[in-house]
Amino acid sequence: MYFHIWQKEIKGELYTWKSMLWLLISSLLFSVTSYLLLTNKELSLLDQTELLWLLGKVIIGVALLIVTVDASSVITTEFEKETAESIFLSPVSLADFILGKLLSSLTLWLAIFAVSIPYILVTSAGSHLAIPFLAYITFLGTLGVLGFVLLVFAISLFFRSSKNTLTTSLIILLGLSIPAVFSTTLKNDVASQIISRVNPIDNIFSSLDNVLVDYHVSLLQNWQFIVPLIAFCLLAFILLLFAMHQFQRQGVIRSE
Amino acid sequence: MNMTKTFITTCVGIASLLFAFAVNAQTTNLPPPLSIQILSQNTLSGVAGDFVTVRGQIMNTGATTLNDVTTYLSLVDTGTKLPVDLEDWSAEKGLYMGSIDAKQILPLSWKIHFVKAGTYSLIIVAEAASNQIPQVSTITHFDVAVKKNLNPGQVLPVALGTPIIILFLLFVLSYRKKVDE
Repeated sequence: MYFHIWQKEIKGELYTWKSMLWLLISSLLFSVTSYLLLTNKELSLLDQTELLWLLGKVIIGVALLIVTVDASSVITTEFEKETAESIFLSPVSLADFILGKLLSSLTLWLAIFAVSIPYILVTSAGSHLAIPFLAYITFLGTLGVLGFVLLVFAISLFFRSSKNTLTTSLIILLGLSIPAVFSTTLKNDVASQIISRVNPIDNIFSSLDNVLVDYHVSLLQNWQFIVPLIAFCLLAFILLLFAMHQFQRQGVIRSE
Repeated sequence: MNMTKTFITTCVGIASLLFAFAVNAQTTNLPPPLSIQILSQNTLSGVAGDFVTVRGQIMNTGATTLNDVTTYLSLVDTGTKLPVDLEDWSAEKGLYMGSIDAKQILPLSWKIHFVKAGTYSLIIVAEAASNQIPQVSTITHFDVAVKKNLNPGQVLPVALGTPIIILFLLFVLSYRKKVDE
């Protein structure tokens, strides 16, 4: 059943002007970034590995932002348009509903990733880093997006309102992104280092740095970044399970 | 009385001379007894954007400890004959060595970022608090080649082509929707 929800979502949400416009915007952002990195006199002085790392951060950052914004409305619109009742009157379980929506959000991430492939290939030309770069963007991006989508879905089930879900999700995304872009010199104290270790965005950027700049390409050499990311996904999943339990307890029509 | 006056004047004169000697001994008009040896190559070559390390060592060749020794770099563009602002070239423009004991040798190291193509000459300057004249090293030459951008010929088709393809897909999508309706 989740497959039908995913198909409906793709046709209704992703396969439209609105979603394609997201892809156009992300492609323009990647174009400007890669063009400046390769042709701007000052920026092109960067070592190629640092240049790739910078592009990797832009790709992951843009993808997380777009997917978070999209995921914030994908469940809540069903409540706001009052279509949730009819969905749950049909033989669709909440798990199928969530799984279908999750697949549609992951499809959007895959579409953004597909758009980024030519940029990854052109910027990593001659560096032998194209394959590790592609592999780690896919792997880390998927883990990061998965964690955020699960978290946003949990928030959606709690709030059932696009505005509140979007605001909360963006605050969380910003709150995690800002310390992640701080330089290492600003992370000298214990508190900053602990935050850095548990922050999923920080772990994605650090792992990309480890792969692209230090050329530590094996998964074993990146476990210290991957384990916290998996833990973040698990925590988001547990939160979603709790939100689903609460949702089923309260019913589709919540008595305020 | 006259004898006393002469004695006092002589004493004051001697005291002044001693004071002048003492002051002169603290800041002499000679460079400090320091020897700066460059351990890296005489000519360092690379492409703009590369990093090189200038290594050397400083030795106190004198018989006494030298205090407040500072070493710093001086870079000159040999093409324009102008000194270069080290702002982007090195994060550490100067190294404070502090006191160097007699015959003591201390290492020197600077990581240099080649910022702009050209030919440059670099010297390490060392000054001590007790000397008016600094000590300098031999010249290290930098030969920095122009950085050729990685692939500006390939990035333009991708940077322009990808958004154009997506825009084209948008129009196809829009057209198909209209036809379906």
